[in-house]
Amino acid sequence: MLSKRARLWLGLIAALSLLSLASSCSNKPADEETTDKGKAYTAKGDEGTVSGNVSYTGAVPEAKKIDTSADAQCAAKSPNLMTEEWIVKDGKLANSFVYIKEGTLADGTKIGDYTTWPNAPSSTTLDQNGCHYKPHVLGVVVNEPINITNSDPTTHNIHFPQGLNPDWNQSQPNGAAPLQHKLAVAEVMVPVKCNQHPWMKAYVGVLKHPFFAVSAEDGSFTIKGVPPGKYTVVAWHEGGVKGTEQKMEVTVPAKGAAKADFTFGASAMGQPSSLPMMPAIEFPMTMKH
Amino acid sequence: MSKGVHRFAVLVACATFFLIIAGANVTSHDAGLATSDWPKSNGQWFPKMVGNLFWEHGHRMVATAVGVLTIALAAYLQFGERRTWVKRLGWLALVGVIAQGLLGGLTVKMNLPLAVSAAHATLAQLFFLTTVSLAVFTSRSWITPASTVNDGGEGVSIRALCVVALLVILVQLVLGATLRHSATWDQTLPTGLLLAHIGGAAIVTLVLGVTILIVLMRHRDEKYLARPAFVAVALLVVQLLLGLAAYITRTASPYDPQPLNPMIAVTVAHVACGALVFATTIVLTLRVFKVVRADRQEYVLAPA
Repeated sequence: MLSKRARLWLGLIAALSLLSLASSCSNKPADEETTDKGKAYTAKGDEGTVSGNVSYTGAVPEAKKIDTSADAQCAAKSPNLMTEEWIVKDGKLANSFVYIKEGTLADGTKIGDYTTWPNAPSSTTLDQNGCHYKPHVLGVVVNEPINITNSDPTTHNIHFPQGLNPDWNQSQPNGAAPLQHKLAVAEVMVPVKCNQHPWMKAYVGVLKHPFFAVSAEDGSFTIKGVPPGKYTVVAWHEGGVKGTEQKMEVTVPAKGAAKADFTFGASAMGQPSSLPMMPAIEFPMTMKH
Repeated sequence: MSKGVHRFAVLVACATFFLIIAGANVTSHDAGLATSDWPKSNGQWFPKMVGNLFWEHGHRMVATAVGVLTIALAAYLQFGERRTWVKRLGWLALVGVIAQGLLGGLTVKMNLPLAVSAAHATLAQLFFLTTVSLAVFTSRSWITPASTVNDGGEGVSIRALCVVALLVILVQLVLGATLRHSATWDQTLPTGLLLAHIGGAAIVTLVLGVTILIVLMRHRDEKYLARPAFVAVALLVVQLLLGLAAYITRTASPYDPQPLNPMIAVTVAHVACGALVFATTIVLTLRVFKVVRADRQEYVLAPA
């Protein structure tokens, strides 16, 4: 049996251990180099493009009005904020992330063999403006700096939840300097959210190569600088829990263009399509990830 | 023993119940990471409480108040209570609330890992159990010498049944806390945990139902035992209905831009009612241990 003094010391040590653990467990930086070293691709001048349109068929889900009243600054700046999940205009779908998933170059090498590309973007910006993210969907290459800015007169917190990349959560008061974040692991898609304003959502596609695009309001997209070869092109769109995607095989000729048109619709929305009372128990019908 | 100690213990228990409601609101609003720092919020002790920071920092403020109340209760018991084991329980409550605060900070600092968040939610219920127990132990009905009654029951021990009921409720609370912290409103609930929680509800209903039935069969006319039994069964029914409602409202929410108020209200009520079922069962259990002798040869009853 321990003496009173020994129990007191044990209690103190346990409390101090918890305290020190709490203070030492700060957010881990996600910008560790975790990608393996691969080959560098050298441009040969015969690169082509993949372009096309993303369409939507069927009844378009109505955008829902977002209640921003929890923060008066948001309500004042964005009184009519709407959801951005399905932005469809004349049957064309915006905010689809289109990318080359895999493929073989004309010389027989795999696209995944390369980790360095001459036309890779150097940085991108994610702005918090009007209590929503601009852009809503974006793509980056691994370890590309994402400059996060706050253009709102209120505090946001920007949160990349744990996926293949580690969890990252930072508060950013109004007027604060931009934050910078890098995603070190290829992942489609990384959700971004603000825990202060739970309606704020964005999605980041992280790839080892720069062959991606986001469909514009007219549904069009163009991926430039693609080496000649055969590829699987995927169009991802949010909806449901993890989004939904369409695939297509294309061949990019030397200095040529490949066409890739995608169509989303009610059957590919990622909405629960079986017994709606028990979505947690149903088999996923439309999730591809 | 003054009435003041008991009243203060009841106040701490009520404040703890309010704290559980505040904490449940944090989870339902997905506000746990509304600020990335702790114990300050956005670098301030008193930040502008807008958006989800209202829930997260509000929870911290209520928790601080409960911590102060618990310190006061422990000190009050130290000087106003003669029973050493009650004094020790007061200090145990203080250790519990400190550990709970540290777990809260830890889960924020670690970006809400499931194990730590679920432990935080579970310890909240155990701390509530402790404060309710202190309120029972300092009550007049507990201290006043009891009168003797006879119990005509045979077979299973009521004491054992009450302990088993408490344990299955605790396991169900752990399952519920884990389920709740494993997916925000816009994510799919893990099927295995969901089924375990539903199965747990069935087991709690069976065990607690049988316990209450036997208590009422043997002691229906004894208000000291019958009252908490009736309250427990009523709360159990409400809790089952709230659980069903929580699931229905949640399944309606995943595609909404934010957690909607009906889902939040029902889910928070489900958490709160779960705490009340737990608290009522501990009251029943303590009273059973107070008046029903272990050998079941002789029974004593305190005045209601």
